[in-house]
Amino acid sequence: MVYSQTKTNMEKQDHLKSLLQVVNLKKYFPMKQGVLLKTKQYIKAVDDISLIINKGETVGIVGESGCGKSTLGRTLIRLHKPTEGKIFYKGQDITSASEDTLRKSIRKEIQMIFQDPYASLNPRKTLKKTIIEPLHAHRIFLKSIDRLNRVKELLETVGLDAIHMNRYPHEFSGGQRQRIGIARALALQPEVVIADEAVSALDVSIQAQIINLLQRLQTDLGLTYIFISHDLSVVRHISDRVAVMYLGKMMELAATEQLYGNPAHPYTQALLSAVPTTKGSKKERIVLQGELPNASSPPSGCVFHTRCPMAMSICKEVVPDVKAIQPNHYVACHLSDI
Amino acid sequence: MKNMPNLLEIKNLKTHFVSKKNTVPAVDGVSLSIKQGETVAIVGESGCGKSITSLSIMQLVPEPNGEIVGGTILFNGKNLLECTEEEMCHVRGKDVSMIFQDPMTSLNPVLTIGEQLMEVVVHHQKKSKQAAYERAISLLKMVGFSNPEDIMKNYPHRLSGGMRQRVMIAMAMICNPSLLIADEPTTALDVTIQAQIIELMKELNDQYATSILLITHDLGIVSEMAEKVVVMYAGQVVEEASVEELFSNALHPYTEGLIRSIPVMEGERKELYSIPGNVPSPEDFPDHCRFATRCSKAFARCFQGQPNLIQQTETQFVRCFLYEE
Repeated sequence: MVYSQTKTNMEKQDHLKSLLQVVNLKKYFPMKQGVLLKTKQYIKAVDDISLIINKGETVGIVGESGCGKSTLGRTLIRLHKPTEGKIFYKGQDITSASEDTLRKSIRKEIQMIFQDPYASLNPRKTLKKTIIEPLHAHRIFLKSIDRLNRVKELLETVGLDAIHMNRYPHEFSGGQRQRIGIARALALQPEVVIADEAVSALDVSIQAQIINLLQRLQTDLGLTYIFISHDLSVVRHISDRVAVMYLGKMMELAATEQLYGNPAHPYTQALLSAVPTTKGSKKERIVLQGELPNASSPPSGCVFHTRCPMAMSICKEVVPDVKAIQPNHYVACHLSDI
Repeated sequence: MKNMPNLLEIKNLKTHFVSKKNTVPAVDGVSLSIKQGETVAIVGESGCGKSITSLSIMQLVPEPNGEIVGGTILFNGKNLLECTEEEMCHVRGKDVSMIFQDPMTSLNPVLTIGEQLMEVVVHHQKKSKQAAYERAISLLKMVGFSNPEDIMKNYPHRLSGGMRQRVMIAMAMICNPSLLIADEPTTALDVTIQAQIIELMKELNDQYATSILLITHDLGIVSEMAEKVVVMYAGQVVEEASVEELFSNALHPYTEGLIRSIPVMEGERKELYSIPGNVPSPEDFPDHCRFATRCSKAFARCFQGQPNLIQQTETQFVRCFLYEE
């Protein structure tokens, strides 16, 4: 059964209520080839994605490598300039805002945590300098003693000892470095934190520490998270809603319980069944054949039809629309029309 | 399977890294055994010594700092540690073969897939090029390539991660080894490709009775593939159990914590249990129980000496003072 709420209706929703909203967002990367470096092809990293993020919630974005989940995260905060579509932050259109305007508005309010905490920290800066830098850049706390106090406060928040303030990144373990990355992201009291594979490089026991820390910070500071990860069990644990991406397209979006308990898209079903679990119930696994197609020449129609166990003839020709099969459960699949 | 003789038996293996400043006991007295056709998993976090254990079996410990300083590694009754380098060359790739986490760095970028696969057969089995070609084609078919002739002509960089890992498995299996060591074979792969590789390895294990030593940090993969599990922490085995025992009744507080700290795919979402602190670095392993400082059940005794591996059931062993009489 198909509810009347379609993609166009989603656009009409009041974007003033939402914190961050994207409408038909596209990000294409040109591929230059030949002697004259002419652009012949585009990689459609993000292709027509609409998404609303409300205050205080955690939206998980899952998908395999190359599905465009990181590009989506970066385009959301204008680290990439979108090819098409609109981005609204607190009702304000930031799609083509100048870098100057961005610096005054969203750069402070949306922060990012990266996968590799070592690569994202400057090896020649001490912990103190790393965390003070955003305070300097945005001219917060004019007195140095205030800044120092803020650093101490932040370190305490993320569970690091302030006496290690003068150490360099290499002197910390992986988990501690990720805590530093979190402290730096929190320095400017952001509204939204985008975590791009923030716990993927960590060991199991450390991963649990960081997940708990992120959840505690969300309750304490009222943060909104966009949690990008390939790890389905971590995303299930932390997210309120989950979006599944495949080759730049959004395949399914639903509340976490709904998506994991009752996945509607064949790709989501295969993805979920592929996760090895420790629980005894050995379910029948849907093993997808083949690999992710090349993003520069994605399949016609539904991009998933080449690997889909339930593909029909229409799937090769027509791109399925994102439809609501239930309130707040969106799927892009022709099967939901039947 | 219980009465089968051990294919591989490691006793009290010690692999140390020696530098001018200090000695780092990366593997400190590890014992484990694998029977014919059995899949044994070594689990642990980074730095626990699981990879060095596997490299020690192959005697590929990084020179010149790494050194096997004690213990025996019996393979089919023969002590590999007494073998000469030449003898080891006949063992590696033929009787025992290995696949690694990153298939790109373990394939030669300037040789085609075909040349690399055929080299193994020509070297170990002294077969003709034609026979080697046929063997390579049949192996590529076995690991699921529909166009093996094309793959043979390709260079590694033209294949995707999952395809490279399947080539690695084909190369490892080409001489019908009795033991396959898989060191984080699916860690670098996407979850749908990981599922393909897991299914393939299970199939090989069923069809050819190849024993598998699986090294991983992912308990999900362990529960799907292994029959026996060895949990390592800070260079030592802290628990050994059958896979059923491990997930229903883990004895060591570390194993228990590890299992409780993974987010689950079904059921209620609760706050994750997390083991406090970090894995100690091998330079300063404590004299007492190595897990004591992070253990929620530690008592006075834990800070006074090292516990021994104690047998609890027929198949379950644990290194913890809680179980000592």
